[in-house]
Amino acid sequence: MKVMGVGGGAREHALAEAIARSTHSPKIYWVSELRNPGIYRIVKQSGGEYALARTTDAIKVAELAEKWNVDMVVIGPEEPNFHGVPDEVEKRGIPCIGAKRSLSIIEMSKAEMRRLQWRFNIPGKLLFKTYRSYEEAIEDLEKHADTLTWLQNVALKPARQAGGKGVKVVEDLQVYLRSEKKQFKKRHIRWIEQYMKKYGDIEERILIEEKVWGPEYTLQCFVDGRTVVGMPLVQDNKHAYEYDIGPETGGMGSYTGRGYLLPFITKEEYDRSLEIVKAMVDAIQRITGERYHGFIAGQMMLTEIEGPTLIEMYSRLGDPEGVNVMAMLKTDIVDIFEAIIDERLSKIKIEFAEVATVVKAMAPKGYPDFRDLAKNHPVYVDEKAIEKAGCKLYWGSVHLKEDGSMVTGGSRMIEILAFGESPQQASIKIERCLSNRPVRLLDGWELFYRSDIGSEEMIRKRTEIAERVRRLYKYREERGILGKRVDWHPKIGKIDPVKNLLDELKVIRS
Amino acid sequence: MPGILGIYPFGLGRENWRLARFVYYGLLALQHRGQEIASIITFDKELHNVTKKGFVDEAFDEKTINSIPGFIGVGFVSPTEEQTPIEVSNPLGLILVGDGKPELEEDVRESWRAFAELLAEEIDRTKNALRAALNIIEKVNGGYSFIALTENQELIAGRDVHGVKPLEVGSLGFDLGAVASESSALDVLGMEHIACVKPGEVVKFDPYSIERGRVKGADKVEPKYCSFEYVYLARPDSIINDIPIYKVRESIGVMLAKEHPVKADIVIGIPETAIPFALGYSKSSGIPVSLGFVTTGRKVRTAIKPSIFERLVGVQLKLNPIKCVIDGKDIVLIDDSVVRGTTLRNTVWNLKRKGARRVHVRIGSPSLVSSCPYGIEIPPPDELIARALDEREIAEVIGADTFSFLSIESLCKAIGLPCNRLCLSCWRRRT
Repeated sequence: MKVMGVGGGAREHALAEAIARSTHSPKIYWVSELRNPGIYRIVKQSGGEYALARTTDAIKVAELAEKWNVDMVVIGPEEPNFHGVPDEVEKRGIPCIGAKRSLSIIEMSKAEMRRLQWRFNIPGKLLFKTYRSYEEAIEDLEKHADTLTWLQNVALKPARQAGGKGVKVVEDLQVYLRSEKKQFKKRHIRWIEQYMKKYGDIEERILIEEKVWGPEYTLQCFVDGRTVVGMPLVQDNKHAYEYDIGPETGGMGSYTGRGYLLPFITKEEYDRSLEIVKAMVDAIQRITGERYHGFIAGQMMLTEIEGPTLIEMYSRLGDPEGVNVMAMLKTDIVDIFEAIIDERLSKIKIEFAEVATVVKAMAPKGYPDFRDLAKNHPVYVDEKAIEKAGCKLYWGSVHLKEDGSMVTGGSRMIEILAFGESPQQASIKIERCLSNRPVRLLDGWELFYRSDIGSEEMIRKRTEIAERVRRLYKYREERGILGKRVDWHPKIGKIDPVKNLLDELKVIRS
Repeated sequence: MPGILGIYPFGLGRENWRLARFVYYGLLALQHRGQEIASIITFDKELHNVTKKGFVDEAFDEKTINSIPGFIGVGFVSPTEEQTPIEVSNPLGLILVGDGKPELEEDVRESWRAFAELLAEEIDRTKNALRAALNIIEKVNGGYSFIALTENQELIAGRDVHGVKPLEVGSLGFDLGAVASESSALDVLGMEHIACVKPGEVVKFDPYSIERGRVKGADKVEPKYCSFEYVYLARPDSIINDIPIYKVRESIGVMLAKEHPVKADIVIGIPETAIPFALGYSKSSGIPVSLGFVTTGRKVRTAIKPSIFERLVGVQLKLNPIKCVIDGKDIVLIDDSVVRGTTLRNTVWNLKRKGARRVHVRIGSPSLVSSCPYGIEIPPPDELIARALDEREIAEVIGADTFSFLSIESLCKAIGLPCNRLCLSCWRRRT
């Protein structure tokens, strides 16, 4: 059997590792933009081949699959999906584990995702609005500046998935700091507009969503077009730095509890989250007429207004969340892939180890917003020391050069995983491992990572917030007002923004 | 006991922030920690230090705030004119603000100067600001918290190994990180309060990272959190070292009622610090609590105003008893601390004059008998009434019917920590 993978980060390394564990002993083939040292080794050991190519070049990737004559292709990152790599691969008769272009719109366009959710009236929604230009956004926000509408407290996002970049939350609660914050908001909208121009594949550039608060968690799933199978919940940590401070990243580390639940999410909340993801899969399949084969994930938040709420969707595994679940997966992943291809996921049993995991990412300084600074530093990793400390290493944005030396690619460089009885224990294991500095840059440029991920304090904090939110949304639920919002505008009067949005988007009743 | 604050922007467009106004409002929230000096320090290409005398809102008008550029901000309020931000230019430009006292010189200001110079030299030597600050903290005894901003855009915040003085961490969205003496300053800025900087811990912000480090073995050292913070200094809406101030103060009231019960008609707390004590006392004793005073003018910390004269004027302006509340009543009057006793004597006199029958004074802290080794502006020991007189004698002097302090043991219990994890120096007689 031959399995081919696409993508060169730590998530893909974890995927490759899971594939290598298969009892089918597949030959593993891989294509990515940088030569990932971890994946490269796995590929070589399996007797497969490794090619460097632009993974968004659908034709090129499909040709490689054809040339290598592989039995299936699995896609790691989102951009190949957005560029129709799965479509192109399947066109050549090779099954692909990856959302087709039209399906992956649920990730590519945050606005489309939200619209779909509203049109099908799927729970866990957020109010939203989109704008094509800076002027349009500013005019609208100014108009509502002194009104009691949800537009006062918003998250500003690029309307297209942009590698987790560009999200800002601006609250206007402190009237006395309003001018400072407003200015900043304006500048940020301008920046999003400019940044979105670079992609050019989407007309709506700026997305504004109501601001919510609560603990976040990721629910990753396997999908075969008929069945959606949930995996253990993972909590990712988006802020670049300690204490949850700093710019948004792709994720600086993640943890799981023992088994399917996180320490602060209940079984009921898990089930509701899974229902939301299932409903979204149904919705996108209905709209496109395509079958969804691959991974999907809901980036969720427990919120006061809706309970389990969909923040964003991934048409793939999360990174680093994918590393956690791939390491926990007990079932042969090639069996799962085959079941996805044959649409018989419901017939097989998928099991995960009952063990907690923590993943911590290390990145060169400069990541995420100043990547040029983070690029091209020579890398040193003492793999033996990491193994000896009971941890596992996943290579990320590192390029293995022909001469065997390695340099940073500018993004998250490596991810370290540990198992434990609890996330706290696993976190301590990683801390102990990293305190001996087994990972360094040889030119003295510094790396950073978050020591607090999975720690006692972090989990206590998340639990406290979860309890606070749960009290509130449960109360709303009891009173039958979950999801209800009321705005007031001095010139218009009371406004039901939910009804307005539903009317505007013409709800599809199933 | 100055108030310190640092705000730091991250990510793309970080230079676009103007943080002077953030610092200003943060300082307003720390105003109770010092009213003589107010400083806004910023960085944009270079360090700026605008230090003025007086209250924050007097020192900085709209025009001044608007004229201060900079995207990194540090703030400082001081209870004494002598203590101002320390500027070092050699071998490295740095401005440092501190609360407490590093044990380097006799004088508080001189100690901070020496500390700032040591830090600048160590940073220059090690080329690693985090390491440098840890080295200094490891070497320098005392009880202190500090924030330093360097010309290289590094903001370094740390606490001594015993964590005597508070320092709390917060954030705003994906943009700003902050440290402040009290969590309430973070709240006021709309920030999320995250955690305390641990004793012996240093947090360093630079344009591309946040790094934390802790002095080796600091996790095994008993903390000595300043108990005066919990009783008196901090705002009741603050959380310090994970302990909510309000909860401590209410518990103190409960403890007082248990330790020193008395028959009375109403419980009155002296605004503002003693109000939560009074609520706790009432809750525990069943004696109803009433609003006894209305204050006029600014919230002046009477124990720390420089001269006795000012203090007298201060107290009269500040506390006007509400006659109909106290007339003909037996009163439990609760105050936070007794320094010289002057303000209390005036208050009791005023209460009686407005019709109080009996006045039973209860103090929400143990007897203040020693000066603070870490720079809190407590008058010299020979001016402390509790050092000279016992409770019965104090009652006589201030004209109260009974008078009691809280015991040290109850104070610790109210804070919720064993006594050996608190700094109790000012309540304990040193020879």
